[in-house]
Amino acid sequence: MQPGPALIDGSPERRAGRHTASGSGQGSHADIRLTLPADAENVVLVRHVVVALAEVLGLPRPLVEDIKLAVTEACTNVVRHAYADARGSIEVAVLPDPGTLTVIVSDHGRGLRPSVAAARRGDGGLGLPLIAALAHSLEIDQAPDRGSRVRMSFRRAG
Amino acid sequence: MSQSTEVSVTPGPLVGPVLRRVVGMLAARADLPLDRLDDAVIVADVIADRAGPYARDAVQVSLEPGERTLWMRVGPLAPGGAQALLSEAPDVGPIIVKLADEVQVDAAQPGVEYLRVCLSYEG
Repeated sequence: MQPGPALIDGSPERRAGRHTASGSGQGSHADIRLTLPADAENVVLVRHVVVALAEVLGLPRPLVEDIKLAVTEACTNVVRHAYADARGSIEVAVLPDPGTLTVIVSDHGRGLRPSVAAARRGDGGLGLPLIAALAHSLEIDQAPDRGSRVRMSFRRAG
Repeated sequence: MSQSTEVSVTPGPLVGPVLRRVVGMLAARADLPLDRLDDAVIVADVIADRAGPYARDAVQVSLEPGERTLWMRVGPLAPGGAQALLSEAPDVGPIIVKLADEVQVDAAQPGVEYLRVCLSYEG
């Protein structure tokens, strides 16, 4: 398990960095984006896609397991909390770069549960602290009327 | 709320692995039998192999699983893109045409094409 950074709570005005997609080449400047209904079976689908990409990119097995767990936690948070009883979508972007894999999980619901502040206090569930422990870097941007964006980066060891 | 799954991948070597996984899982979810699931994955491979030059920034596929049915919509594609996907492979023929139950080319918008492919099982 990779050592984790501190949990970072992004302001509503903050814009997460965005890779622009152009060109080709194994694992460089490529964008993969999925938009799916936010339900439990699609968490499995996202996990399979992210793991497949990680394997194609040749990431080491322990790192692949960390990525799988962190992405599952982030997606499960959306499925369980983002939309209450309404239907909504989950958006997943995977941005591979040499040596780093960034995964962004977004929704247009009511924000993260438990709140980031609660997670920093140690209240609520284990999901966000777990992601923070697994990812090399973690950025969270959320607002009750705009949804949430969790950006996780994973770096190859060494 | 749409039940479709949208996939967008920058043209390149990652299109195949992504589409293969998504199509395979959604074909299984649509309760297609194993042989039709395999056919769906072959169609995904053809899309991955041929769509890149006709895609703008990304190869985009929209998928909608139904009752023993999987619809795939590829695009937007540049003109000629749909035909490129439907064209013959050496010694094999037109793969998507042979495997799909229904194929539609949507060229209603100037300069843009979409290819819709349906795989289903009625047995």
